[in-house]
Amino acid sequence: MQNVIFGLVTGSILAIASVGLSMIRQTEGFINIAHGQLLTLGAFLGYTFVSTLEMNIFLAGLLSMLLVGILGALLAVIVFRPVAKSGPLAQLFTSIGLAYLLFGLIRVVFGANVTFFPTGFGTRFDLGPVNITVGEILIVVVAAVVVGLLALFLTQTRLGTWIRATASNPELAQLRGIPVNRVSHAVWFVASALAGLAGVMVGLIGNVHSELGWTQTLIILAAAVLGGLGSIYGVLASGLLLGLAMDLSALVIPTSYRTVVAFGVLILGLLLRPQGLFVRAGSREA
Amino acid sequence: MSGVLLFLVGVLTLAGIYAILAMILNLEAGWAGMWDLGLAGLVAVGGYVFIITTQQTHDDVVIAPGWPIWAGVIAGSVAGGIVALVIGIPSLRVRGEYFLITTLAFAEVIRQLSINLGSVTRGTVGFNQFSRPFDSWVSGSGYRWLLLGLVWLVVLIVNLVMRRLGRSPYGRLLRGFRDNDPVARSLGKHTNKHRIQTFVFAGLMYGAVAPLYVWFIRTVTPSLFTSEVTFVTWTALVIGGIASMRGPVIGALILLIVTEAAALVQGLGEMAVVLASVRFIVLGIVLIVVMRFRPEGLASEREAFASASGRLQQ
Repeated sequence: MQNVIFGLVTGSILAIASVGLSMIRQTEGFINIAHGQLLTLGAFLGYTFVSTLEMNIFLAGLLSMLLVGILGALLAVIVFRPVAKSGPLAQLFTSIGLAYLLFGLIRVVFGANVTFFPTGFGTRFDLGPVNITVGEILIVVVAAVVVGLLALFLTQTRLGTWIRATASNPELAQLRGIPVNRVSHAVWFVASALAGLAGVMVGLIGNVHSELGWTQTLIILAAAVLGGLGSIYGVLASGLLLGLAMDLSALVIPTSYRTVVAFGVLILGLLLRPQGLFVRAGSREA
Repeated sequence: MSGVLLFLVGVLTLAGIYAILAMILNLEAGWAGMWDLGLAGLVAVGGYVFIITTQQTHDDVVIAPGWPIWAGVIAGSVAGGIVALVIGIPSLRVRGEYFLITTLAFAEVIRQLSINLGSVTRGTVGFNQFSRPFDSWVSGSGYRWLLLGLVWLVVLIVNLVMRRLGRSPYGRLLRGFRDNDPVARSLGKHTNKHRIQTFVFAGLMYGAVAPLYVWFIRTVTPSLFTSEVTFVTWTALVIGGIASMRGPVIGALILLIVTEAAALVQGLGEMAVVLASVRFIVLGIVLIVVMRFRPEGLASEREAFASASGRLQQ
């Protein structure tokens, strides 16, 4: 049972991080490898706000979200917009270049040491067979709220509808007069902000270090691809699934095989359902 | 002075190794259109199989047959090919980004296995004592020169092979089904069979050149085979010009000299972490700038094959 809780927490974080990646993939047409570095940045910003500036954790989380989101939108305009015409290979490699650039900058600014959030979320509750910390409950609740808000935003607001329209057919969306640039800014902002939030969450349950981005990128990619990249709910579900798979596998095999399990699930998933686990057979990926 | 010279020899050796990797990658990604993000895994397989099969003493590992060096290289190569087959058959069922991610996942699985199978690979400790070819001929710093020559000899050989292969009917076929798979199939070509063939051939070559990397670094640990190897190779290829002829070598030389130049000033001490990070910043900026202003790379595919098609027209 304890592992179910762990898996739920890992899965919530993973889902939040992967949704951003798949939103960018849908509207911009490439996989943003730098997504994991934005997550690391969020973790370090949150850590700095809480420990150095002694801010409230919620305020710190919100602020890191906003800052990473704004940075993401800026990077989209400065770095990604100019290479949009050069095709997906150029965009993909620009994002790899950006990942290295951010990784290097993060190490210069924040150093290469491992640090921990100085928050009091570590106290454990005994709930019958399991015990759970305040931080873990918060993460799951916040993740659920954020996902709910995201769903509302995408279905109920005009901007959200535009985003979904652009995702399903960029040319048609543009022809119908949807301001694609504004949509793109919004997507980058939301996706990066989600990465920032996921970063703070990762920091809360584990530690904060500069290599975080690389390890997380691989698992985020796995979750996003497993969910079929396209459907947001599919990606959410597969994020949760991967989280559960990783933590439940710890019951049977050593925990050092956690990532192997994640990729094993991914490879299996791709072989059995190349179009993604939660994508209807009819809607083919372009 | 001699310190700087030896450093330069090291950079050129590493550049040569990456040039070889980039040429192999150019075959599978540039010409055959298979964007492989898992080459670090195949290099790891080659390196580990070489080191394990040539181990003399049993110390704390289960397998140590103590084969001669040449047999170890062949074993590494064969293992690279077999693993490529195992990875290729499932991965090649998916296309584009899905292939990218699957190969990346396999490489990470291989690396995690090399960490966890401690009884064979000695885990994160790895190996640091092994024999290198012609070790008895020259001593100490002289060996660096020998290795430099050996590496660039291999660069030359691989380059000649790739030149032949690229202009051969087989190379044309690869580039053909990269651009239009249905047409190639309608002409009776078994494109999937050729993809697997090429992928396995690339695996054999990654496995075969892995020992060069191992001899240069002089240790074998899982941290040598992170996805950084893959990304640096890709960056070299993309800077030089994907699908071109000279591109991989030019790209590897430029990239390694630029990024390692940062390491030259590393001796200053206190700033070590900052300077080590500068390497990544430089790598990132180079990649972003090249993609922005010359996305086809420094040498282009059109130039590389211009003379060939010119002859054809005459």
